[in-house]
Amino acid sequence: MRPTDSHEVSQLNELKIDVSALTFDAHYVLAGDMIMCEQMPIYGGYAGGLEETTIVDVATTINSFVMMQATWHLDGPTHVRWGITTARETLAVAAHACMAVESHYDLMMGNQYYTTAGPCTVMCLLETAAQAITDTCSGREVLSGVAASKGVSTNYTTGMEARFMGECAHAVAGMPTAKVNELLDKLVGMYEKNYKTAPTGKPYEECYDTKTLLPTQEYLDVYDEAVKVMTELGLDYWTKKAKLL
Amino acid sequence: MTLSRTITVMDVYDRAKTGERVEEKEWDYKIIPKTASALKKKYGIKMDKKKIIPEDPELCSNLFKAGLELLATCGVYCIDTNRVIKYTEEEILASLEAAPKSAQYGEVGLNGRMIACRRHDDKRPPIIQGGPTGAPCSEKYFQDIHQTYAQEPIVDTIVDGVMQTIKGKDPMPGTPWEIAAVKAEAKAVREAQMRAGRDGMGL
Repeated sequence: MRPTDSHEVSQLNELKIDVSALTFDAHYVLAGDMIMCEQMPIYGGYAGGLEETTIVDVATTINSFVMMQATWHLDGPTHVRWGITTARETLAVAAHACMAVESHYDLMMGNQYYTTAGPCTVMCLLETAAQAITDTCSGREVLSGVAASKGVSTNYTTGMEARFMGECAHAVAGMPTAKVNELLDKLVGMYEKNYKTAPTGKPYEECYDTKTLLPTQEYLDVYDEAVKVMTELGLDYWTKKAKLL
Repeated sequence: MTLSRTITVMDVYDRAKTGERVEEKEWDYKIIPKTASALKKKYGIKMDKKKIIPEDPELCSNLFKAGLELLATCGVYCIDTNRVIKYTEEEILASLEAAPKSAQYGEVGLNGRMIACRRHDDKRPPIIQGGPTGAPCSEKYFQDIHQTYAQEPIVDTIVDGVMQTIKGKDPMPGTPWEIAAVKAEAKAVREAQMRAGRDGMGL
């Protein structure tokens, strides 16, 4: 690792720490490394409801810069029932915490992605889009993902999800908040009733040709379908891109 | 009050040894939820789930004040010493003032990036950190999966996954195999970046 790579240290839920984390953070600090301090507050966990979890998230974010002398904080509010970051409630926690910090200080903050659905599904890409839009338009500096299928199944993660995360972020940067909220309300409404029946998708080795490392035609078609949904919701990023090609 | 200097992680450790002793269950089930709930009431905080991103600057400001007060009032619990690490509000604010506003991520000019503070209405997009974000990857496909991220031009840096085995062994935390797996992960991501023509990319 170079000093300019991101060196990770994690806090514990909620507002807790262990000595070993402090010990290797000391190494990072004294080595002059870039430090990323992570914590994923749980909506419906120790803190409680929406507002309480957001208050804890703000405190946790601030703590990264006090306790760990972090370069940037990596958030990831997680829904206690679904184990994802893309639920309406967890998106709201992340956005409110980020905007709360922005209202008083300039700090560098990221968010990480855990979707219900797996790779090669439209639902996974729409969940990713919702969080990318939320994070970009609440002022986050880093979008980190995607751990599809809740980040628990082996090889259920590919570059295509990150492509969509990036393209959605680039599509909405600078968009007025009221317009973003209208878009998000419709977008989240498209998938939030489907958590129980979310498609597991396919592992990497079925999403890509494992010799050429290129996505399958099936995944490219799924991607186009998700782009179509986002275009119909009013994002012209892909239409403009197509004209340039 | 003038501070002698900002807090360091060494100060934090010292406080973890001398702070007030508290039972972990009391912290989890009483101190944190009760204080968060009281601060919600004190600052009149009410969120609307239909507006995922807040549009009211006063709500944002009150959420910050509540979060700051939570940290200054409760502190942070150390699970190894069963003690509470406390900071004063002045110490917290001094650390926030001192926090970096930009940083070099990877080798700038060689597929690295500069990360810098942005605002919610900023037209500059955020840094796109692509990768499994801690999700499990098989030893067989670990490098190839990371190459699929590195080869995406819109991806700025890589966040890696967890290698499930190393030489077929379970990399149990706190064992030599864990170190072997972590070193293998870093090397595989570097190789994936180079194979994608992204040498110097941040990790």
